[in-house]
Amino acid sequence: MPDSTKQVTQSYYKTYKLDNIDDSLKLELKEKCGIDIETCLECGKCTGGCSNTHIFDFTPRKIVQLIKMGQETRLYHLDALWTCVSCQLCVDRCPAGIDIARIIDFVREKAIKRGAEPTRSNVKMFHELMLDEINKTGRVGETVLMIKFNLKRGLYFENADLGRKLFFKGKLKLFIPGIKNIGQVRRMFNSNPVQREV
Amino acid sequence: MDSVKTALVIGGGLAGLEAAIKIGQAGHKTILVEKEAALGGNVAKLFSSFPRWENPVDLLEYKINKLKECSLISVMTGTTVKFAQKRDKSYSVELLSTTGTKNKIEVDAVVIATGFELFDASVYGEYGYGSFDNVMDSLQFEAKLKEWSENKENISPPKSVAFFKCVGSRDRSKGFPYCSKVCCMYTAKQAGLVKDLFPDTRCFVFYMDYRAAGKEYEEFTRSVIEQKHVRYVRGRPSKVLPEDGRLLIRAEDTLMGVPIEITADMIVLASAVVPSHGTKEMSKLFNAKIDQYGFIDHEDFNPVKTGDRVFYAGACGFAVENLGAMHQGAAAAAEVISLFNQVD
Repeated sequence: MPDSTKQVTQSYYKTYKLDNIDDSLKLELKEKCGIDIETCLECGKCTGGCSNTHIFDFTPRKIVQLIKMGQETRLYHLDALWTCVSCQLCVDRCPAGIDIARIIDFVREKAIKRGAEPTRSNVKMFHELMLDEINKTGRVGETVLMIKFNLKRGLYFENADLGRKLFFKGKLKLFIPGIKNIGQVRRMFNSNPVQREV
Repeated sequence: MDSVKTALVIGGGLAGLEAAIKIGQAGHKTILVEKEAALGGNVAKLFSSFPRWENPVDLLEYKINKLKECSLISVMTGTTVKFAQKRDKSYSVELLSTTGTKNKIEVDAVVIATGFELFDASVYGEYGYGSFDNVMDSLQFEAKLKEWSENKENISPPKSVAFFKCVGSRDRSKGFPYCSKVCCMYTAKQAGLVKDLFPDTRCFVFYMDYRAAGKEYEEFTRSVIEQKHVRYVRGRPSKVLPEDGRLLIRAEDTLMGVPIEITADMIVLASAVVPSHGTKEMSKLFNAKIDQYGFIDHEDFNPVKTGDRVFYAGACGFAVENLGAMHQGAAAAAEVISLFNQVD
């Protein structure tokens, strides 16, 4: 969750220089995903209905706008790439029929290939740890995941009290048995991995 | 030109009235057919007009009086055109009245003025049109305005009214890609009227662009914002939720880039203008040229001609304002008159 200082630091403005707009991402989206970004009417219907704007650094409309403005490099460092849950509400409501969830997915892949990290939070680390967990055991063990996330960030006791409460209510299990055919899951991971290229 | 020629005008709205009056005044026999019991079409449903806040009833009364003054015009209300057959230089047309009487006539030219309908906004599940009582389209709201003005004292004013523009227009996924042209202006008018009736009611207009391309239009819209204090919010609403008997609107203020919520008592949808049922039928009967949406289209570089001896006027061609409907009605009449006056 963003704290108030982070929101304040976002609120000053740097000039975007539009002299040499880079259209490559726009063209790529058209070619590979069949999405025409220029049909966007800039109406904000996507953002008005978005269920996760309260944890976004950039809203769906602004993400589309960034692509229009050719600000590709800014895009790769957005938190919103990783906090978007792909609920497709924006896609359903968009009067221009732009598949925003697909765009975010596409940009996500590109961000991984470039090794770009979100600048605001370590949400990407959380994603990686979760996928790692699935790769190892075939399912998500919440306790292990939370502990690993805390250890990796150096915040050893964050939410520890909440964890304790959940544990005593029987909501958190310490040991989670792996699934039977873990090989099938791993094959999925290995068949078409998105990996860092640059 | 010794033989008497007859023109058939289909539709008794503003454009049809204008065409019939002009043809009749020029000395030709005119038959005006209207499917409803009364003349006036959609204009008769309006409470006020833009850009001069004139009462459309006055305008219609004036036109209908003109119509009655002319003995060459016969008006047939409650009548529809059922069948048409092209002859060499005329059409033989079968009329059917609501009483069930059939009537066969021979006409030398036809003016289609069958007007428009509003897009059915219930395809937008997110707006709740058809499921929430206080979500209505703009023509229903004009009736509401009439009702309010008639017994203003006995009505508890709504705390806030929200207007959604571009419902079905400028939407290629669920509606139509075109701009319906008149919604920006009549929404400004309706919001202004609410403020006139109930100054304490808050009015919000959700817009993407406000289009005021016309004489006095920009001044009209600005006056609604500046003098009547209607709040314009830039963004397309995303969701309407019922909350404690009121309606919660979720949207984005795209100028601030933040999600917003507004609670309203009533929501008015400026639904897209679409070709009426009658327009579709008549274009088939008279083999009129139509565009991809079903609006009547012009041909031969002639702005009101749509087929052999077939002309059109008003909103059956595309959304049009009162003044534009009268222009087109007069232009169609001029075409009919010049056709009738040609020496064979």
